[in-house]
Amino acid sequence: MNALIAESIAGYREAFEVARPSFGAAEAARAAAFERFAELGFPSPRDEAWKYTSLRRLAMRQFVRRTVDSTPVALEPALVPFRIVIVDGRLRPELGTRGSPPVGLTLRALDAAGRDGEPLGALLRVPAGGGTERFAALNAALCPDVLLIDVAPGASPEPIEIDVAATGSEAGMSHPRLLIRAAQGSAARIILRHVGDDAAERFVNAVADVEVGADAVLHLYRLLSQGDRSFHIERIEATVGQRGTFVLHDAQLGAGLGRLDLHARLAAPESTAELTGLFLADGSRHLDTHLHVDHLAVGTRSLQDYRGIAAGRGRAVFNGKTIVHPGAQKSQARQTSRNLLLTPGAEIDTKPELEIYADDVQCNHGATTGQLDPAALFYLRSRGLSEQEARSALTRAFTGAVVSRMDHAPFATVVRDALDARLARLLEAQP
Amino acid sequence: MLSIRDLHAQIGTRKILKGLDLEVRAGEVHAIMGPNGSGKSTLASVLAGRAGYEVTAGTVEYLGRDLLEMAPEERARAGVFLAFQYPVEIPGVNNTYLLKAALNAVRKHRGEAELDAFEFLAMIREKMKLMQMDESFLGRGVNEGFSGGEKKRNEILQMAVLEPRLAVLDETDSGLDIDALRVVANGVNSLRGPDRAIVLVTHYQRLLDYIEPDFVHVLSDGRILKSGDKSLALELERRGYDWVRQEAQVA
Repeated sequence: MNALIAESIAGYREAFEVARPSFGAAEAARAAAFERFAELGFPSPRDEAWKYTSLRRLAMRQFVRRTVDSTPVALEPALVPFRIVIVDGRLRPELGTRGSPPVGLTLRALDAAGRDGEPLGALLRVPAGGGTERFAALNAALCPDVLLIDVAPGASPEPIEIDVAATGSEAGMSHPRLLIRAAQGSAARIILRHVGDDAAERFVNAVADVEVGADAVLHLYRLLSQGDRSFHIERIEATVGQRGTFVLHDAQLGAGLGRLDLHARLAAPESTAELTGLFLADGSRHLDTHLHVDHLAVGTRSLQDYRGIAAGRGRAVFNGKTIVHPGAQKSQARQTSRNLLLTPGAEIDTKPELEIYADDVQCNHGATTGQLDPAALFYLRSRGLSEQEARSALTRAFTGAVVSRMDHAPFATVVRDALDARLARLLEAQP
Repeated sequence: MLSIRDLHAQIGTRKILKGLDLEVRAGEVHAIMGPNGSGKSTLASVLAGRAGYEVTAGTVEYLGRDLLEMAPEERARAGVFLAFQYPVEIPGVNNTYLLKAALNAVRKHRGEAELDAFEFLAMIREKMKLMQMDESFLGRGVNEGFSGGEKKRNEILQMAVLEPRLAVLDETDSGLDIDALRVVANGVNSLRGPDRAIVLVTHYQRLLDYIEPDFVHVLSDGRILKSGDKSLALELERRGYDWVRQEAQVA
């Protein structure tokens, strides 16, 4: 470990010690989490999980742990009637929708959940393994709060939106944390928007723990639109119960450096994970997605379908890993990674990995990386469309397949409009 | 309208057109026939501006302009239309979107206002009826999952919508059964008029039973060896292409 990084971990330790007196009953759990982070440290370039994403710049920076303030926050209009706002990792009820959440949903903060006897070990759990265990541990150590969302058994509440904002004009870090529990037989949709501007360098280190009960369905709509100077690292840990379904609709549009690690555990029979999404790495953005699905029980199903675009000096990484463990017979796993390079300098590294240790399964995977089809471009131009219109139509068609799966109309519209605007600028800038 | 002089074109180092001359006036229908590999499709591609074809000599003048200097979309807007031999499937780009974007591009170029949604739909419906196409085509991706015959009909539908001045049909008859051939020919015939010229590139005489050409040209080894009226097509059907080549060698 080089000296700069050691110094940087000392900086995190200092932040932890400053916050320690406020931790109360959680102090021991948080201290253990911090030591786990200190032990793992920042990844080196030799770390396979960080092969294409260097955290050197992040490791060398010192970030201030943002504490409570009343900085005004500019938010986009809400996509659903009920919105919760988290600023710099803290719940800010006064910025969200007043009144009760939709019927069937209970929302609690860390203290209230603790008073209700929720075990701290569950609220501040550190998921094991993967490239982001270190950061999930850091989050458990430093998160100022936890938003606990419970969907009641059999309930189908109206969708809610959670806006997670990063603010401030100084280089700050925040550690937002969610725990979502969809009880047996429930059906819920949750929109998760990460937003931030370019006013400062930021380190956002988010964790979402998701537990989908038996026969429950949970849709998570994730929109990443952080500023260009941000480091955004996120860990989503999902476990799915018998015949339960977890669906991720992911739209990664912005972050200086973005990394998502999603781990889905299909440990109950006939549980399902559908992970679909898109990323647009233009400018000098670097977007890295690591999906990991474990098939551990009979009749489990998973789908990974991601589409990525890179342009300019943008770079993207997609790593989709699916493991069908012994005994997970009759399982189905499908993986698709399709990627489009709009300009010569851009780069996408994609690696679908399928490991199968059961013999009666249906699995397939495929990955492609290429440019817009010249024959299709010529066809459209031969009908009178300008080169720009033709490129735009083909690029929208490329992402359209994933956007059309986003079965929440306002969310899909926001994603589509944001993509269109960005692509229009991109294509205009091209000769 | 179209004046091709001494056109030489190649793909890579392979010379395909070797001094082709052709004169097409408004109102005329020309058939260009020839054996496989004679350069028929290359001619169509060069006229539409497909990349990968290098014109090494000669000129192509279209309505007084240097066609070869124009980008593919400029040619389309100026009234040149190519019906593709192999129309491209473009999943995710909707047929209606393409028809509308193409029509608006052409109308804008002509200084005409864009059609509103109702006018557009009424017009499309009428043309689709002519081509015996089902309305479900509109909601589908361009040529996506279309059969060979559907693709060819879709080409002629686009042509009917765009109303070009010069239409080049590249082997539009290939792969069509007799019913589809009739529908396609019907569509093409409905577009015949004094202001419009049509160039049919075809391997077989069959299409010419339905679309009667004013002129028939035999293309072989990159040049037009013989021109005549529609009776030439019948003679080719009977005697094949070899006698034209032998005649040309003697001359």
